[in-house]
Parts: sequence; structure tokens; C-alpha cells
Amino acid sequence: MVQLVGPLSKELADSVSSCKILVVGAGGIGCELLKNLVLTGFKNIEVIDLDTIDVSNLNRQFLFQKKHVGKSKAQVAKESVLRFCPSANITAYHDSIMNPDYNVEFFRSFQLVMNALDNRAARNHVNRMCLAADIPLIESGTAGYLGQVTVIKKGVTECYECQPKPTQKTFPGCTIRNTPSEPIHCIVWAKYLFNQLFGEEDADQEVSPDTADPEAAWNPEDTAARATASDQDGDIKRVSTKDWARSTGYDPVKLFNKVSSGFILCLFKDDIMYLLTMDKLWKKRKAPVPLDWAEMLQLGEDPGCGTGLKDQQVLNVGGYSRLFQHSVETLRSQLADKGDGAELVWDKDDPPAMDFVTAAANLRMHIFSMNMKSRFDVKSMAGNIIPAIATTNAVIAGLIVLEALKVLNSDIQQCRTIFLNKQPNPRKKLLVPCALDRPNPNCYVCASKPEVTVKLNVHKTIVQALQDKILKEKFGMVAPDVQIEDGKGTILISSEEGETEANNGKMLSDFGIRNGSRLQADDFLQDYTLLVNVLHSEELPKDVEFEVVGDAPDKAPPSKAPEEEKSITNGNKDSAQPSTSSKAVVEEDDLLIVDSDEEPSSSTADVSTETSSLKRKHQDAETGEAASKRKRLDQQSADDDDDIIALD
Amino acid sequence: MIDMIEKEENIISEEEAAQYDRQIRLWGLDAQKRLRGSRVLLVGLRGLGAEVAKNLILAGVKGLTLLDHEQVTEESRRAQFLIPVDANGQNHAQASLERAQFLNPMVEVKADTDQVESKSDDFFLQFDAVCLTGCSKDLMMHVDQLCASKNIKVFCGDVFGYHGYMFSDLGQEHHYVEEKPKIVKPSEETNDGPEVKKPKIDPNETTMVKRTASFCSLKEALEIDWTSEEVKGRLKRTPSDYFLLQVLLKFRTDKGRNPDPASYAEDSQLLLQIRDDVLEALGVNADLLPDSFVSYCFSEMAPVCAVVGGVLGQEIVKALSQRDAPHRNFFFFDGLKGSGVVDYFCAK
Repeated sequence: MVQLVGPLSKELADSVSSCKILVVGAGGIGCELLKNLVLTGFKNIEVIDLDTIDVSNLNRQFLFQKKHVGKSKAQVAKESVLRFCPSANITAYHDSIMNPDYNVEFFRSFQLVMNALDNRAARNHVNRMCLAADIPLIESGTAGYLGQVTVIKKGVTECYECQPKPTQKTFPGCTIRNTPSEPIHCIVWAKYLFNQLFGEEDADQEVSPDTADPEAAWNPEDTAARATASDQDGDIKRVSTKDWARSTGYDPVKLFNKVSSGFILCLFKDDIMYLLTMDKLWKKRKAPVPLDWAEMLQLGEDPGCGTGLKDQQVLNVGGYSRLFQHSVETLRSQLADKGDGAELVWDKDDPPAMDFVTAAANLRMHIFSMNMKSRFDVKSMAGNIIPAIATTNAVIAGLIVLEALKVLNSDIQQCRTIFLNKQPNPRKKLLVPCALDRPNPNCYVCASKPEVTVKLNVHKTIVQALQDKILKEKFGMVAPDVQIEDGKGTILISSEEGETEANNGKMLSDFGIRNGSRLQADDFLQDYTLLVNVLHSEELPKDVEFEVVGDAPDKAPPSKAPEEEKSITNGNKDSAQPSTSSKAVVEEDDLLIVDSDEEPSSSTADVSTETSSLKRKHQDAETGEAASKRKRLDQQSADDDDDIIALD
Repeated sequence: MIDMIEKEENIISEEEAAQYDRQIRLWGLDAQKRLRGSRVLLVGLRGLGAEVAKNLILAGVKGLTLLDHEQVTEESRRAQFLIPVDANGQNHAQASLERAQFLNPMVEVKADTDQVESKSDDFFLQFDAVCLTGCSKDLMMHVDQLCASKNIKVFCGDVFGYHGYMFSDLGQEHHYVEEKPKIVKPSEETNDGPEVKKPKIDPNETTMVKRTASFCSLKEALEIDWTSEEVKGRLKRTPSDYFLLQVLLKFRTDKGRNPDPASYAEDSQLLLQIRDDVLEALGVNADLLPDSFVSYCFSEMAPVCAVVGGVLGQEIVKALSQRDAPHRNFFFFDGLKGSGVVDYFCAK
């Protein structure tokens, strides 16, 4: 005779109340998830989130109220949940899950881990920790009306990294610097400009014309014309704001106007005139039109319209000129107030910083004949804001708990990847369950001996780049240790601070690394070893430092019909910085790739009767190709606003 | 009712703009303004009701009235997160009020402890939308008939264990808009970029397309003759959840309550009996709904309330804001399979 405890069988109810679970993230999905968990009877919950509460969270992160803005999400979430379930045993950590304190042993203390994250780096990390600890992981994501849930179990299902996810879309330097054709290019440029003036200078974030643009290939005769278009010393490089502070002596504010208007003239006039001399660029494109700054400042503004959001108004070029000047002054004093050697970090929620990017981007759009955008729209693009609502998170969090119950019931065969669509598919499904895939035997994370081949130039790649751009950014390691397999076990990189710092600036070739060399990279926290085969090449495309052999190329996807635009990315954040931290560059709830693929022709009727729910990857709906090249991994919405952009 | 946006609501305050930012970026300012002008009646504050209340309050409707005449019991607050722990014996709506209001001080939340049956017809006219949970079939049909004729949007929903459904009647002519990408012709002045040579779907520009959908009444949706030839053909592709719903509504009518885990043995027997009767009366085969269903339809599963409440909440938001195609006219969720299906049922 079945015994019920509420809706659950007694057996399941007992498992639920005795098990210990970890929730990673207390934001949009996290709040809904915590509520569902305690109401279902889960008693022992630990929740971790490094972020603090922002007013824009309040439309969906319902455990928080206005009075909590600025406080720790994990902490307040715990307190709010205890109000309606005082018997729950909740531990809250205001911390990053990537902190080495949360080691394999920590993960092993749980029966189940549930992600409620918004960035890929953390997801990769938790994926590895759960593999190392052999604990089941429920992964999920939402964006707008779309969402997805899936279950990951070592050796049984695909891990989070079995299928390569598209990396954030980046734009070639010459597009940003010379030939922008879309508003986003201008916005990226404006953010680079911010950093050049007020923030951490980055060699990859140049804003001046790119003289090495392969498209330009100008004639030597034009040198004279170019010289007059550039500044006094014939150099296109600009002097940074920090250098101004030093050069203008004691009264930087007074002299600022003189210096800054000179600077502004360069940005929006002289540099543009320089670009015009690279006439090959403009044979098939509309040429940019330099700004007459003095004229712009005199231009009156359009009267605003009353009923819209103030931020949604689009000013005219006069308005943006004044906004630019004003925001530069404000930022300049912010910087001065911070003292010597200070830097500002761009933050979309810092009004002058946002004003600056809005203004600079719009001025550039105007120069390049694009329709200017409102501050509201610029903020979306510059801040990588993903729109979010309560109901989508509510549905996904409900599905997470239902999957959790199956896992606890040792029913992994019943577990599914479930996609939430905006509209029902032709088979009337709004929620589409799909059988889980088996692990990829060639996965560079969960395969028994993961191995990759990386194409790079050993004479031009420095050790620091190997560590930061390849091992950390691309391969998700947090604290890599690298040995060269040269018979001597030469240590190239040590995760211990300071030990191999001297190596950072040296070329790989300085260590005898050449074509065919093998490097063993370990992340001991993640219990992860990756063998990297070096493929030396001197023919990498411009702006490309390395390529992983076997990856699909990072190109913009072909545009597709709207109803197939169900792609949600794995995050517009590669890094794990919280949205409210000062280092935040991007934000908002992250999401998994939503597949527009339907279930395979064995319909729902079969799903429950399948003897093995773990099937071979099913056909790609669009091309019919085998899933190893499945389109969904490359899918990105054709909508600019949803594009993944590297804006850090 | 919905066509009138109250004049004073035309300006969005800075506070609202900041709080609703992430949803305004999704459904637009117009939709948000319409929400701000809408009043909703929510009947039933059990697990599903609490979810719908939360979703509508967070969305920023003008007012939400919580109507429930029953007292809080151990069972009724199983999946309910708005009711404080020490509230046993209090009225559901009253007990939920404080926490509901805290979710968003900008919404007028009220509690009403009357029975729905006792309300005059006029009572419903003050609302733009009505959502009925935990109500009997007859009551739902009556309220639906009353409201649909006055252009008040009607929604019904329930959760039974692992299963749940929602139904909507948005009237004979529900107008809404959909956002579609704009197709840019080459002859038009292209000013979103210097490099456009052929017509393309411009991902940056969208246009609003007006549409109309028509809905039938709940009565027409539930009273289908399955013995007729045309309908019989549909049977194969009809979710069994539709029939499960009929069985559970009959149970509710007969017993005046939902199946209760405290009387599991007795209620399971009754459910099987009702299944046989109902399916026979509808003219369909009893094995459309195998016996196993009884173990999974008791009480309210919190995660199922979350899923159904999420879909239902979003449908109400869509209908009030008149934006995006509404689901027509049922949504069935099976928590065991993780399947969520939208299907249209109408006797006509």
C-alpha cells in the first residue's frame, strides 16, 4: 500500500528530508529554487553567491525587497526562506564558488548540486568539481521567455563541457578601429575609449585608426596627407588621461578643457580624417564624416517626448556632444579624486560611465552614418543585459526540483533535458523533454585522459597568454600548473604565486617549445589534467592568438528564421565577476543553449518506456547533420541585442 | 476595460523604471503601462494561487484581490510560501496578504474572505482579468460565462499532485500585437550602417504586427462529445491529462474537496470509480487513463505549482498587456514526464 507524505511516497519524502544539497547562485533562478526546495521538503541546503542585491533584481528575485539592496544575496535569501520555513537548515556563503576553500571534499559532502548561475566560468568550474567528486549536477539557464534544465552525472551523461560552447563573439580590431558598420562596433569602441582614458590600458583595446588594416594597404604617396591629419609628432597614439594629470601640473581641471577639446578634436575629427586617407576602405563603404565640434556644441536639442522613459529618448548629435563633454569632466574628477595611479572600472550602473559610452558611441555612429541609439538601448548592448522575468525562472526552478527528485529516487533513466519555449512547437509542446546524451568520449574535460591540440605561434605566444587566454579563459582552469613533457618535466607555470612569475613575459619558444611539443596542464582544485599538444603555425589570422584544433570556427552564424532563434547562450560573461562588483563588465542571468531541435521521432509516448533514455545524439533539425556538429552549439540569435560580445 | 489605460498612469516613475527595467527590456514600455492599469481577481490561495499571486505582483499590475473563504490547514499550506508558519486557522487570503504586499509595494493587494459563490455579478466587473483556482467545475463555467461577455479575461488552473493545467478564455475577439523583425528594402534609406546592398532582415529593427485570436467558453471546452466521428480521430493525439482533469473535477464536485493524502485508500478507490464513470460518459475508453494515475494526483507538488503558476501567470500578463500570442486554450503539465503541452478543445 502506497504511503504518502503529501504528494510524495514516504520513501522519497524521507530521502528528500535527509539529503544535503548545494545551490550555486541566489539570483533569478536561485530564489525560485530555494523556495521550491523547502516547500518540497528539502531540509539541508547550502547556498552560495558572491553578489549583492540590486534594485533591478527586484522584479523577479522575490526573496529580496528594496530595503535589502546592497546586501548579500545568499544571506538575505536564507533569511527570507527561513521566514516561511523556519525548520529548514540553511547555510549561506557570500563567496565565490571558485574559491579553493570549496574543494572536492566540500562537494563530496552533498548528494546533489544545483547550479543557478549566470556565467560560463563558474559553470565550467562546478562541472569539473562535480565530476571530480562524482556528485550529480543539475544545470539550468534562462533568458527572457526561454529556459533549459539538464542533468549531469559522471560517466552516465554528457558533462557541461562535452559539447563545445560558442565563445563570446569578438570583433576584429580593424572593424572597431576603422570600419564600424553596426552600432555594437561603436559601443565596443566607446568602452575601449573609456579604458584608454580612465581605466586599465589594454593593448587589445586600441581606439586609434589601425594603420595595419590589411584592407587599407595604402600608397606611400599618401604619407604627407596622413601626416597633416595626425598630431604633431606624426604618431596616432593618444596621450592618456593619466598622462594629462601629470603633464597639466597643478590645476588639471582648469587646463582640462583646453587639453580635452584637443583630444576630442582628435577622436572625432582628426582620426576620422586620417581614416579617410585610407581610401581603399571606402571604395565600397560609405565614408565617415568628421564632426565639426564647435558646431556640434552649438546645436540645439530636440524637445523630448513626455510619456516614454527618459532613457529611451534619442538625442541629436548636439545633445550627445554635450553629454560627452560633461561625462568626461565628471569622470576626470572621479579619477583625480582617487589619487595617484588610480583607475576607473567601467560599470553600466555608474551614470557618468554609462553617459560616456552612450555619448561616445553615438557620436561615432553619427560619423559613420548609423541611426543613433537611446541610452536605454546602448545600456543593453554595452552592459550585455539579458532581459529577465519572474515567470520563466519560476518554471525552470520547478523543473529543476522535479529532476532532483528523480535523481534522489535513483531514477536517472527518467531524467531529461527540458527546454522551455516561448510558443508551442508544431507538436504542441511548450516544454520539450529530450533524452540525455551519453558522455562525449573525446571531451576535453570528462574523457579519461583529456587531450587537445592548440595551434599557435611559439615565437609570439608568451607564457602569460598561455596561462590566461588559453588555460583559464578557453579551458576553464582556475589555477593551472603546467609542465613541459620534455623528459625533464620542466615547470612552465606554477599555480603558487610568484614561483614562475619570471616566465610570464617569455615566449614559449624560449623554453624549447616547438611544433609537436606536449604540455601537461593540471588544475589540482578541479582534479583536472589536460594534455596540450602544440601545433606551431605562423599563419594564424590577424587578431587570432590561438585556435583549438577541432573547434568550430568562431564566426557569426548564418541568419535564420525568427522561430528558430531560440538560441540562448551559455552566458555573456566569460568571467565570474558579480554584476554588482566593481569589476563587472557584463551581467545578468546566464543561460544554456536552447535547442530548437525537437525530440527525436520517438515521441513522448516512447520517452517513458525507453529502456535506455541515454541515446545517441539526435539529428540536427536544420541540417540533418550528426549532432557532433550540432547547430545548436553555434546558434546565436541574429538579434544584435542578444549577441554574445566580448566587451571586457 | 483593458483598452482604457487610466490617464494618471501614463508616466512611468523613476522607481518603476528602475525596478521593472529587466522586464521592460523584454516586453516593452507599452505592455508595462497596460499592466500598471490592470486589476486582477485571484480566487484560491493554495500553492498554485500563491505562485500566480507572486508572479502578477512582481509583474506590476495595478491591483490584485486575493479571494479565499477557507481556513489554513496543514495540508492547504503545503506548497504555500506566503502564509506564515503560525497561521493555522486563519483565512488563506488574510494570511497571505502581508507577504504578498511585500513582494511589490507598488501594487494594491487586497484580501477578501467571502465565498466566490456569494459574490454578485457586479463584483466581477471591476476586474480586467479573473483567475480561478481550486473552484468547482460549475462555478468556473458560471464565472467564465459571466465575465467573457463583459470582455473580462478568464483563467482557470489547478494542481493535482504531479499534474497541473491552465485554461483561458480571452473572449471571441482578443486583440494583441506581436513583434516581428522588419524586412529592410534596398530602396529605403538605409541608415543603420554604411554597408547595405540588398534587402535583408534587419536584426535591429522590428515591427509590431496586430493580430486577433478567438476563444471558446469553458463549457464548450469541457463538454465535448467524443463519440462523434470527427472528434474520435483526434483522440490519439489528445493528451490524457485532459481526461484526468475531467476525473479530478468530478471528484471535487462529488466530495467538495480534492483527493486528500489523509484518506488515501478511500480516495484512490473513489478516483478509480469516477474514472470509469467519467470516461464512459464522455464516450472514451477507460484505458486512456491507466490505474497508476491515482498515486500521482494527491496534494499539491510545490514544483508543479511553480511550473503551472509560471505559465498561468505569464498568460495573464500577456492577455493584460495584449502582447504576444496567447496559448490557446489549455496548457497541461505532467510533472513525471516533464512535458508541457498546449492544446485547443472546443465542442464547436
